[in-house]
Amino acid sequence: MTRFEDELKNALRRQQPPQGFADRVLARAAEIGSRQVNRAWRDLWLKIFDQPLVPANLLRWATVTVVALALVVGGVHYRSVERERAQGEAAKQRLLLALRIAGSKLQLAKTRVDQINSGQVNSNKLHSDPTANQQKRE
Amino acid sequence: MAEPVPAGAAADVVVGDFAEIVRRHQSMVFSIALHFLADPPAAEELAQDVFMQLHAKLSTLKSPEHMVFWLRKVTSHRCIDRMRRHRIPQVSLEDLPESSVLEFSPGVQPADPFLARRLQQLVASLPGKARLLVILRYQEDLSAEDIAELLDMPAATVKSHLQRALAMLHDKVVRSMGEVRSEK
Repeated sequence: MTRFEDELKNALRRQQPPQGFADRVLARAAEIGSRQVNRAWRDLWLKIFDQPLVPANLLRWATVTVVALALVVGGVHYRSVERERAQGEAAKQRLLLALRIAGSKLQLAKTRVDQINSGQVNSNKLHSDPTANQQKRE
Repeated sequence: MAEPVPAGAAADVVVGDFAEIVRRHQSMVFSIALHFLADPPAAEELAQDVFMQLHAKLSTLKSPEHMVFWLRKVTSHRCIDRMRRHRIPQVSLEDLPESSVLEFSPGVQPADPFLARRLQQLVASLPGKARLLVILRYQEDLSAEDIAELLDMPAATVKSHLQRALAMLHDKVVRSMGEVRSEK
């Protein structure tokens, strides 16, 4: 190495940075670090609210299960309602029949009562009218 | 002139104490920037940016040697980028103001401070690439092959550029200070 190169090496010796350089670098690093932590938290929250709480596959199966259950429960309920309606209809028919029978019986009874009443009227007429009795005897 | 790095401390240094890394390498990074830019505030800003980049990249660096290589490479590229972005003009020696003369750190006083300051001015007046080669060669004591690897250049190109830069510097020294001081 020449003397010129030695002088050059001497001139370009490493220099210490200004006082507090390392502290300023560390402060910047800490600031960036805290910013990254804040961003990580924000991203986590966004992810939580952005993504479905349950996996898509599970959600799909849950939907299928709920629909199937709804169909089964609905079918059972419909059959129960139908049975009750049929029973109600049968009871109604029975009641109507009973009413019809009762009505005809009442009609019969009324006729008999009317007949009995008309027969009693005739006998009363015979007792109260002597000419009618005489004529009857003759 | 590269600072010795304790062997086997790779994992500890890479994983751990960023503060210790900054303290260990701050003079290297700052000095490359300072000798290149000849502007202490700009050099500090650039050096801080390099360490911020290191902070983000720390986990990817495999050993202290890799870290030193990475720091030199990133600092060199940032110096060149800054020169291009800010269009730092290549000033002639006569145009360099006296205020651009760099102050030596306490305890780093050269044998001839006047010559050293003049040489710093002369280096700062070199074209960007030549300036960087001279700094890496004489500040960091790197071989032409090391510089070639660092800057992705052929070693022969580095050697020829260095020779040309030295000749240019020598001429400037002769013109500004006389043959006596620049003689071999």
